[in-house]
Amino acid sequence: MPTPKVKLADSNIIVKAEKVNKYFGSLHVLKDIDIEVRKNEVVVIIGPSGSGKSTFLRCINHLEKINSGHIYVNGHMIGYHDRNGKLVEDSERNIARQRAEIGMVFQRFNLFPHLTAIENIIEAPTRVRKTPMEQARAEGERLLARVGLVDKRDQYPNQLSGGQQQRVAIARALAMKPSLMLFDEPTSALDPEMIGEVLDVMKELAHEMTMIVVSHEMGFARAAANRIVFVDDGQIIEQASPDDFFAKPRSERTRLFLSQILH
Amino acid sequence: MYHFDWVVFWTYIWPPSALQDPLIRNGLIATILVSVIAQVFGVILGLIAALGKMSKIALFRWLSEIYIWYFRGTPLLVQMSLFYFGLGVTHIYNFPDIVMGAIKITGAIQAGTLALGINEGAYMAEIVRAGIESIDPGQMEAAKSLGMTYGLSMQRIVLPQAAKVIIPPLGNEFNNMMKTTSLMEVISAGELFFGFNQINARIFQPFELFIAASLYYLLLTTVWSFIQARIESGLGERKGIERGPSMMERLFSGSSGKGAR
Repeated sequence: MPTPKVKLADSNIIVKAEKVNKYFGSLHVLKDIDIEVRKNEVVVIIGPSGSGKSTFLRCINHLEKINSGHIYVNGHMIGYHDRNGKLVEDSERNIARQRAEIGMVFQRFNLFPHLTAIENIIEAPTRVRKTPMEQARAEGERLLARVGLVDKRDQYPNQLSGGQQQRVAIARALAMKPSLMLFDEPTSALDPEMIGEVLDVMKELAHEMTMIVVSHEMGFARAAANRIVFVDDGQIIEQASPDDFFAKPRSERTRLFLSQILH
Repeated sequence: MYHFDWVVFWTYIWPPSALQDPLIRNGLIATILVSVIAQVFGVILGLIAALGKMSKIALFRWLSEIYIWYFRGTPLLVQMSLFYFGLGVTHIYNFPDIVMGAIKITGAIQAGTLALGINEGAYMAEIVRAGIESIDPGQMEAAKSLGMTYGLSMQRIVLPQAAKVIIPPLGNEFNNMMKTTSLMEVISAGELFFGFNQINARIFQPFELFIAASLYYLLLTTVWSFIQARIESGLGERKGIERGPSMMERLFSGSSGKGAR
């Protein structure tokens, strides 16, 4: 059964996190995270490694469980429902249904190696959405064309370069027609010469999608982000438009981090 | 000096004459069918037990652990006797003969196949689990992030990849299975070794007869080795896994068998 819609002040809010806390054992990795992401907004999360930025991203589609707080996507609480004031984890089926609306792109691509590019793309639409095979194939080929790989349709992942694999992975996520795309360091595992082709696809996408991107690519952040969120030690230290963020960072920690990565 | 009876030897080793004897003909058929059925049964049980062992639900984990612990930790011969004589005497299940037209499946064959399959499941569970655990957890995460449930992700994404890891040891298990069916002799199930034993009871030529019996098992395992090599090289070509050992290595390495349980 679907979780009841929570009334949000603004129906344009796609993601809303309230006081999210997360522990790995005794390690407090997310500390009272509050954030709102609006429709068509592109938010880039940056921060030192181990700061909790990837963990937060994985909480948004419940690949990681949160210990307290709430995360809403499109007004639905993710992973839990309220039963007399207590949070109870949702049924597997319900969680799966919510995840189908949220696309995710992983650092290590995670393409299915036993399936060809087109099979990777149509697997979830045909199995989860029950889209007819012919229609799914046609849509899949359109997506492959969009990421510039229509000629690689019948290749297996191990026959593709890293950059090509990541572009197929983006097409695979888009095939579910998600209302939100999460990118978890999508270019970190790529050879330098392949980063550009993936970022180009993402920039194109940024015009029309709601995206949350964990990345170290400051060029992409400048060019495509509406907002940059700086996370350190499990906390949001500051958030601002790219112009403000790079030109006049407010906190000392941000200045230090920027000086380290921008040289 | 022992007089080796070549006539008996050749009569029972040369298939056209040996298979004239219904004890050997039916025994050979039974050995092959029991091996296949018990192995299929073992793979299914092994898959269930492997998934149970990895389950989030504690009860399933415990049941799987106990099953694996018991059936790997006790002799198959004892398990087989327990199934056939033990269950029979309690009247929980008497293993009545099943007659289907010209084919009669004796209670001993049923009990033996059941014991072999359940025992095999405990070994397959570990093989299946190792296969599943060899797959990058990112595969399950990617499937889940696309809205696939655990079951669908297992069925469509993880198990097809794990199969490549599972199939080579599964082939070795089947090789062992064909030899292990001979243990059913103790419950008088009419398989190949039982057939040779019956003939020996009549003519008492154990040396000649048991060499002949051993060569029939050698034929079965050798033919299977060739089939297995074909299957594995087929897997390797398609999915880019390492090539298995060559036919000669497979037959003479001596490292793959693990002896009687």
